[in-house]
Amino acid sequence: MDFGTLAFLIPTLPVIAFVLTLAFGNKLQSRAGYISIVAIALSFLISVLIFLQIYPHGTVEQSAHWFSVLNVGIFIDPLAIVMLLMVTFVSLLIHIYALGYMSHDPGKTRYFAETALFTAAMLGVILADNILQFFIAWELVGLCSYLLIGFWFRKPSAAAAAKKAFLTTRVGDVLFLAGIVILYFNMYTHVLPEVGGHGTVYLLQFKTIFEHLTLIPTDQLTIITLLFFGGAVGKSGQFPLHVWLPDAMEGPTTVSALIHAATMVTAGVYLVARTFPMFIAAPESLIIVALIGGFTALFASTMGLVMNDIKRVLAFSTISQLGYMMMGLGVGAIIGAEAVGFAMFHLINHAFFKACLFLCAGSVIHAVGTNDLREMGGLFGKMKITATTMLFSSLALAGIGIPVSIGAIKLGTSGFVSKDAIILEGAYSYLHFGGAYGSLIFFFGVAAALLTSIYTFRLWFMAFTGKPRQERHAHESPLSMTVPLMILAVLALVFGALTFSPFIHYLETTYENEFFEEIDPNGYIHGLAERGGYHIPEEPIVHLDLAHDTLIMMLPVIAGLLGFIISWAIYHKRLFSVASIGNMRNPLFRILAKRYYQHEIFIELISLKFTYGVLALTGEFIDRKIVDGIIDGISSFIIGGAEVLKKIQTGVVQNYATATVLGVALIALVLSWGVI
Amino acid sequence: MLPVSYYLIVSAIVFCIGIYGVMTLRSGIMIMMCVELMLNAANINLIAFASHFNQVNGHVFVLFSIALAAAEAAIGFAILMSIFRSKENVNIDNINILRW
Repeated sequence: MDFGTLAFLIPTLPVIAFVLTLAFGNKLQSRAGYISIVAIALSFLISVLIFLQIYPHGTVEQSAHWFSVLNVGIFIDPLAIVMLLMVTFVSLLIHIYALGYMSHDPGKTRYFAETALFTAAMLGVILADNILQFFIAWELVGLCSYLLIGFWFRKPSAAAAAKKAFLTTRVGDVLFLAGIVILYFNMYTHVLPEVGGHGTVYLLQFKTIFEHLTLIPTDQLTIITLLFFGGAVGKSGQFPLHVWLPDAMEGPTTVSALIHAATMVTAGVYLVARTFPMFIAAPESLIIVALIGGFTALFASTMGLVMNDIKRVLAFSTISQLGYMMMGLGVGAIIGAEAVGFAMFHLINHAFFKACLFLCAGSVIHAVGTNDLREMGGLFGKMKITATTMLFSSLALAGIGIPVSIGAIKLGTSGFVSKDAIILEGAYSYLHFGGAYGSLIFFFGVAAALLTSIYTFRLWFMAFTGKPRQERHAHESPLSMTVPLMILAVLALVFGALTFSPFIHYLETTYENEFFEEIDPNGYIHGLAERGGYHIPEEPIVHLDLAHDTLIMMLPVIAGLLGFIISWAIYHKRLFSVASIGNMRNPLFRILAKRYYQHEIFIELISLKFTYGVLALTGEFIDRKIVDGIIDGISSFIIGGAEVLKKIQTGVVQNYATATVLGVALIALVLSWGVI
Repeated sequence: MLPVSYYLIVSAIVFCIGIYGVMTLRSGIMIMMCVELMLNAANINLIAFASHFNQVNGHVFVLFSIALAAAEAAIGFAILMSIFRSKENVNIDNINILRW
């Protein structure tokens, strides 16, 4: 059986679950979540079957006309299938976990309906075979995130956070849409004459774009890709549009886990990976991707150091890790298609350990009833499973491991393997072959790794060790919550180590297969890079040898371990007092705790002072005084004229008769003028 | 036989009397009568031309015109009756509700 024909069911089933849950959820009460779980489990199953069928060289392509000018379709290649598997799998686990977590919430029907739609929207993004369909699903993701972040909409802070997330990502979406418009224009002028005839239908299809990429001028491509990256910046919380992500913690923790691990934020990375050939053909954009990514990685991790809300720490770590992924893609200007492999590998590993971390945090919050790390402590004894799984996923996030491999197996947690790949094989190779700003990007990667390790273990030590800082009867969570934790924790530990090289090689075939060879037999990605004025070396990855490049290879490891030691010394052994540096008198601490005054800059300066104070009030003046003034002037002139003229209507019929007679006499006079 | 212009002059005089009455009189009944005068002036015209051209069409047309005048008078007086019921007179200065 050809499972590819079932591909349309992958997003459709959760949509059906959404409708069914809304329709019958109130009758099912506590069992409302099962509909979504079954639907997503089936989607996962179909994804697995498709994967088994197409691995290692196949693709699934289906397409139909849409209003005879565009097309809708499904395109599954290695890039899409790994995303499909990850999203359906992680979403499934989060849904199962939510059965326990949301069991006491009165709005759980709405919750499960919305998360099903959220998952469906993300699956729609992944499966889209053209950029417009991609954008539609992308917007649906944005809508669902708004609904879910504002899930407890009666709480003003949640409603505000939802609005903030929606508006901030909207900034990116407008850029993305502008990019699509410019892309369509270019495809229409440069590519349509080539494909001819009814080709308009497929102009926005990814394959068509990739096939005729060389026909589009490079400067146009740079603009398009930068606009696309603008969309990715908004969705994936990169600097400077990251401000919505920490606030998105107002939703239920399971929603945070969904947003941060499986859906939403990875969409931006996926967008860049999906349109990677376009970025390669415009390498200036890729360098900006790398710089923004690297900077975000470092920038977000500095703020993660001082947050006291357990979920906020994780939120900043997500921003930071997404920065790594963008950085991994950005170094593709030199290292080529492998960059997609590194970034996606980190994305998948990140999904596992971040989902696990968030669900652990949810378990802790469920048990102690607060988000504040300062009120936690000493939970290890009471919540052994949660503490252990969180330790595992923290090890993964911090990237603890040894840069040695036994055969194909790497020694280290998932996070270590993928982050190591991005920093060493990505950023270092980029630096080695003289990529622009190479040393800066490499520095960002290593410094962020150190900070990541510090705040990750700070979180763990503060929550689970030491003396309980609060009298509460913390207890372990139910089985439906701990089983997903254990599955995710195991994956966070071993997935990366086991699958590293097959994964990277499989992902490489996304842009190195027969289809692309036919377009350019000398190497598709290489050819595009040459066109953009860059050169990808024959053997782009520097193969480091532990004996010769010890320092370079050990850098990420040292960063990870050093972070662990610093955290252990400060937060566990309390060798230094946190209060001596961590107070508001310390300007460095203050700037971090205030999150670089982003709130002040974005809300009060840009939003209130500039947008409201200058733009909106000027607009109001023009509208009220000038535009309305003209309209009001015209109308009052007409009304005044009518007041004068209406006096003619005396209401006496005789006057009208007189006027008629005089009129007739006048006409008769005029007509007879010539005769007489 | 009198030339046709004599009849036309009479008709014109009658018509002008009618118009003058319609424009100046205040009583609704008098106005109605003046309108009848104007109609009859037209009838005189028709008859005069009919006999002048020796054709029967004018005669037939006058019959229609008289029937029309009768119908008009019936409706007009009915209206005046109902005005009289509400206003106690038929002075048209009082009937000015069409005004602004």
